[in-house]
Amino acid sequence: MLPILSMIRKEFRQVFRNRQMLFLIFFVPLVQLVILGNAITTEVKHLKLLVVDLDQSRESAALARAFAAAAGFDVVGHTQDQGRIKEGMKAWRVQLALVIPPRFGRDLGGGRQPQVQLVVDGVDGNSAGVALGYARGVVAGFAQTWAGERGLGPARVHPTRMEEQMWYNPELSSRQYMVPGIVVVLLTLLPMMLSSMSLVREGEIGTLEQLMVTPLTKYQLLLGKLIPFLILSCAELALVTAAAVRFFDIPMQGSYLLLAGLALVYLFTTLGLGIFISTLARSQQQAMFIAWFFMVFMVLMGGFFIPIENMPPLLQKLTYLNPMRYFMAITRDLFQKGASLDLLLGEAVPMAVFGALIFSFSVIRFRKSVG
Amino acid sequence: MRGAGRRVGALARKEFLHILYDFRTLFILFLMPVVQLVMFGYALNMEIQQVELAVADQSNTPASRRLVETFRGSSFFRLLPTEGGADQVQTLFATGQARAALIIPADFSRRLERESETPVQVLVDASDANAATLIRNYCAQVLLEYDQGRGARAPVPFEMRPAVLFNPDLRSSFFFVPGVMAMILVMISALLTSVAITREKESGTLEQLLVSPVRPWEIVLGKVLPYIGLAFLDAALILGVGLLLFSVPFRGSLSLLVGLTTLYVLTALSLGLLISTRARTQQVAMMAALTATLLPTVMLSGLIFPIASMPRPLQLISMLVPARYFLLIVRGVLLKGSGLEQLLPPTLALGAMTLVLLTVAIRRFSARLE
Repeated sequence: MLPILSMIRKEFRQVFRNRQMLFLIFFVPLVQLVILGNAITTEVKHLKLLVVDLDQSRESAALARAFAAAAGFDVVGHTQDQGRIKEGMKAWRVQLALVIPPRFGRDLGGGRQPQVQLVVDGVDGNSAGVALGYARGVVAGFAQTWAGERGLGPARVHPTRMEEQMWYNPELSSRQYMVPGIVVVLLTLLPMMLSSMSLVREGEIGTLEQLMVTPLTKYQLLLGKLIPFLILSCAELALVTAAAVRFFDIPMQGSYLLLAGLALVYLFTTLGLGIFISTLARSQQQAMFIAWFFMVFMVLMGGFFIPIENMPPLLQKLTYLNPMRYFMAITRDLFQKGASLDLLLGEAVPMAVFGALIFSFSVIRFRKSVG
Repeated sequence: MRGAGRRVGALARKEFLHILYDFRTLFILFLMPVVQLVMFGYALNMEIQQVELAVADQSNTPASRRLVETFRGSSFFRLLPTEGGADQVQTLFATGQARAALIIPADFSRRLERESETPVQVLVDASDANAATLIRNYCAQVLLEYDQGRGARAPVPFEMRPAVLFNPDLRSSFFFVPGVMAMILVMISALLTSVAITREKESGTLEQLLVSPVRPWEIVLGKVLPYIGLAFLDAALILGVGLLLFSVPFRGSLSLLVGLTTLYVLTALSLGLLISTRARTQQVAMMAALTATLLPTVMLSGLIFPIASMPRPLQLISMLVPARYFLLIVRGVLLKGSGLEQLLPPTLALGAMTLVLLTVAIRRFSARLE
């Protein structure tokens, strides 16, 4: 047992000696939590709207005003020159343009259904789609007022009213969803990168030979390397969770104990991946690139910010191979819905199986030797 | 000057051999962008499709059934009939079988005739706030459609015709292929440079370089040149795959794109250099470079999420992310055919950023060495 302890002590010393590393492990994640937790919003606001009013009548001005007053649009200019639309879009100053045709007011009064054009910059397809939806809403509202002013309003039939209830997150704050997600990303990134690079480092700077001549067995060496990172990762989890709950007011509905237990299971996966990467890489640079590669794959296909339900069916099936997917769902369900273990088994079991497979496969592959 | 050229060349060659030394590095450097591009191109779809909607029609009258049919008719929802009220919805949400529920009260038809407004209950699983907002908006649209169909809302007295420019089919790959280019370029340039110099420190070979007659700026240049080459190969690869596989259009000028891409690569390299002057180990350099590039580029640059929708302080922080400017450039040139005069503001921003980063990095580097 003793050799492992001294190995662990050595690793800890190496980590704590390096102030820069401590800063990166413990301080930077907190900053990320604040910044990134607030960054994600697919809500589309402040769309830059150019009004091209070729009619200049009272009616056209009213329509332009309706757009200006609507949430979601910022009017950036009025013009009568249609050429400025494309010009503005190329310079990213304009995202959409409302083109009101000549004779709009007269045709409207005469009931001749004039055509209004909405020119949209389609480069960001998502925003463009949302912008069109907003515009339809504005137009429906305008129609309602217009008809009301002329006494053409719907007299006898009554409309419905939507009574909405937003469950689990009544204020619709995306932080609640993103911060637990960032916790998962950190718990993947740190153990994977740190363990893989630390294992490769010994080989790269030539200290692996020194370790080889010690009586440490391969398993003792691995344990000595992994236990410090396991402890560091747990400390990271505790710190980040505490900060999320205490300072960022992320409600934690579930049990901390359950979160810690399942995180421990998940760490087998990420530490296992770390060992696996170290068996593939010959330099720390390589280890870093392979880890980055795994990371991007896991983050993209883990439901962190791209909902898995939106993906094509084939890719959705592929996400079942991604261990992060399970822990992401578990963490969010714990934080937001207070799920109990029996509701989480569907995720926890595959996660444990992946962890066991990846970890044992990597340990078998790992060689305590040079070259 | 001739000697300087030779020394830089020799250093660049050494660094290049370091990269080539192992085919695995090159394999990763060229495979990774392609895999990421394909994944981004196919997986990234922020639009929600097919939301499971639990429907409890407690009224069960012609009017309520017509409302249910209107929901069924919109391609957005997949209906899931249920009998129970709120408690059953609770289990449906908890097990993830449904993400929204529509509850039509028993007195729906009666109230529809008598009262000025009839409530319909819509429950949404809002754990993903963004998805919830979209689902709510869709529900409101369907209800509006239902009311207009019954003549309860005024018809629109004019026609609104949308015209979508630059990307008429609203394909998300057009948006993301240039985005992946911005991401890969900044990461390869910043990560590789930061680690390249730190490696010399860590393995003690920087001293050897120092006692050689090579000047600090020559070391920097020699170190950086191979990575500029690599970054360009990667950019060309991404662009090629993007044009061929996703048929992304190329409407602008190639030379403009090459010029501004060089500027962007320089910005990222300067960032990497700056990190390498501070970091003592490769681990630190890599973590710092990753922290400074990966998540900010993905989340704050407008790669996926529109900057204008972010809270004000974050919009200010995003001004420090180089990819924010390059995205305007690369998307503008590729998709819109923008010219330099239209892209002047982001170009100037990148230029200023490079100047600052490079000056600080070289100062620090020389100071350490002397």
